[in-house]
Amino acid sequence: MQYISSSNFTKFLENLKNDYDVYIPIKKNDQYFYKKYIDFTDDIVISEVRAFEPLKSFFFRAREIVAENFKSDIPQKIQKPYCIVGVKACDLKGLQVQDYVFENHDYQDPFYINVRKNNLIISADCTSTIDTCFCLTLNVKPYPLENFDINLSVVREGFIFEVSSQKGQDLVEKYSFLFEEVKEEFISQRDKQREKVIKAVEENIKENNIPHQDSFKNIIERGYESNIWADEANNCVECGACNTICPTCHCFLLYDQKSENKMARLRIWDSCMIKDFAQVAGGANPRPELWMRLRNRFEKKFDFFPKVADIYACTGCGRCISACPAKIDIRKVLKRLVYDV
Amino acid sequence: MMYKIENPYRPIKAEITEVISETPTIKTIRVEPKEPITFETGQFIELTIPGIGEAPFTPSSRPTIKDIMEITIMNVGKVTEKVHELKKGDIVGVRGPFGKGYPINRFKGKEILVVGGGCGFAPIRSLMYEFLDRSGEFKKLFFRGGCKTPQELLYRSEIEDNWAKREDLDIKLTVDKGDSGWKGNVGVVTTILDGVDMDYESGIAIVCGPPVMMKFSTKKLLEMGFKEENIYLSMEKNMSCGIGKCGHCRLGIYYVCKDGPVFSYDKIKNFPNIWD
Repeated sequence: MQYISSSNFTKFLENLKNDYDVYIPIKKNDQYFYKKYIDFTDDIVISEVRAFEPLKSFFFRAREIVAENFKSDIPQKIQKPYCIVGVKACDLKGLQVQDYVFENHDYQDPFYINVRKNNLIISADCTSTIDTCFCLTLNVKPYPLENFDINLSVVREGFIFEVSSQKGQDLVEKYSFLFEEVKEEFISQRDKQREKVIKAVEENIKENNIPHQDSFKNIIERGYESNIWADEANNCVECGACNTICPTCHCFLLYDQKSENKMARLRIWDSCMIKDFAQVAGGANPRPELWMRLRNRFEKKFDFFPKVADIYACTGCGRCISACPAKIDIRKVLKRLVYDV
Repeated sequence: MMYKIENPYRPIKAEITEVISETPTIKTIRVEPKEPITFETGQFIELTIPGIGEAPFTPSSRPTIKDIMEITIMNVGKVTEKVHELKKGDIVGVRGPFGKGYPINRFKGKEILVVGGGCGFAPIRSLMYEFLDRSGEFKKLFFRGGCKTPQELLYRSEIEDNWAKREDLDIKLTVDKGDSGWKGNVGVVTTILDGVDMDYESGIAIVCGPPVMMKFSTKKLLEMGFKEENIYLSMEKNMSCGIGKCGHCRLGIYYVCKDGPVFSYDKIKNFPNIWD
């Protein structure tokens, strides 16, 4: 554990730019967005709360070409690996699910791995919450404990700088002149800050009466025939926002660009809420009704992933709650599945 | 298990060498891939029509023939509609093979009943080639096939001129609705499963056809005494990427594209709505 002053951290980022495409969150009207780092502008906010867009968008892109004209090489290789600064703990869990899907689940996806393998993740503690935060429900603390290269905790005029990978360690050694020893008072400052955010998330959870994931076992099986699904899906407009904004959703559509003499295959983010998602060419559709597709979305997150990868594919980031025009609230659905079935 | 693939989304260029009209709605295309591609019977490939898209099919040809592949395709969707317009010399793409085929070696020394329905004859033909080419390795072979009308019976001349004359195969066919020339059974395929002269307790049953046919055949086979783990089904879902990433073909804890398309019934029976 090291201490780095704000001005030295700027120097550190400046150096990282040589080897990485650095992205950092900026604050705009109470929302946070990743922006390419050029210099340390006033709108940059490393701490506070998660970004608007899920972290997956860096690695599993919303739209990319995956094959062209029968050529064997992989199109669109990136020039420099990404360094992403200010990633929050919920998004690190999301990345864990994406890694499982694209790297570890039997087959490997070269496009994901190509972008993911050399990147640098500099995460940061949350120092505030929004009212949809419920990470603790999913056993995610509002400060990163794993799956980062470097983690930052904001303290007075700088950061506590913690490394958890060889890549992070190498950087500390390379730029050792930028770091100082951590003073005891900074550690207690960090711990107090962490305690404060935990309390705020606990308040959210209490207010919405959200059951902890320890009570999620078999909720899908138990509630499979329940009328909760039809009830909750009643106002769904099939926009797919919950899928695209979700840090764990990974489904995609492969489609060929129409062209007379050239074949270009693209993949774009897909949504299991859309009617033809599982439909076959002959017309058969295992999930013709909207409520069946809502149920399928929950089945995937709370039944499939725990069974195949021992992980609930939800991070408690609350993005789907804010994104849904029909006000379908994952916290409420989980609550009903646990308490009402 | 972990597999590394160079670019799993890239199709291999393949040339159409022949188009065979099987029935009014079904054609078999013969394709010659420009790079080697081999498959095990029951595995599937994704066929690309450049500029249109791709769709999954199980080859209907002999897996031991490496340079030519036959794919039998019914005209039902936007890709298959274009397939039916293909002619000799056209270029298509082939990606795969994907998934797990039939565990043929597990069937050695056993009595085997193959049940095919309609378009399900296509993957079944590839499997039957394996069985017939290696028939000495199996104790007894039965084939029971059904389709709607005699006009829709796939590979009719091959079945009548070759399979029906073999002594190592017991074959019976049925149609839902006969015509003046039809001498065989009339009725759905489950009506010709009774009386198959084999030991159901230890026998293997393989079913491929439309979902409703597989559903009732499985029910019938279980009633006859076949064991759940000895009934092999070829599941049809919306397989797209082929490597368990795109999410479209999930069936319970499996992806049909990488864990199937062939499953023994015991593996999938507890998932809800498997036939939908």
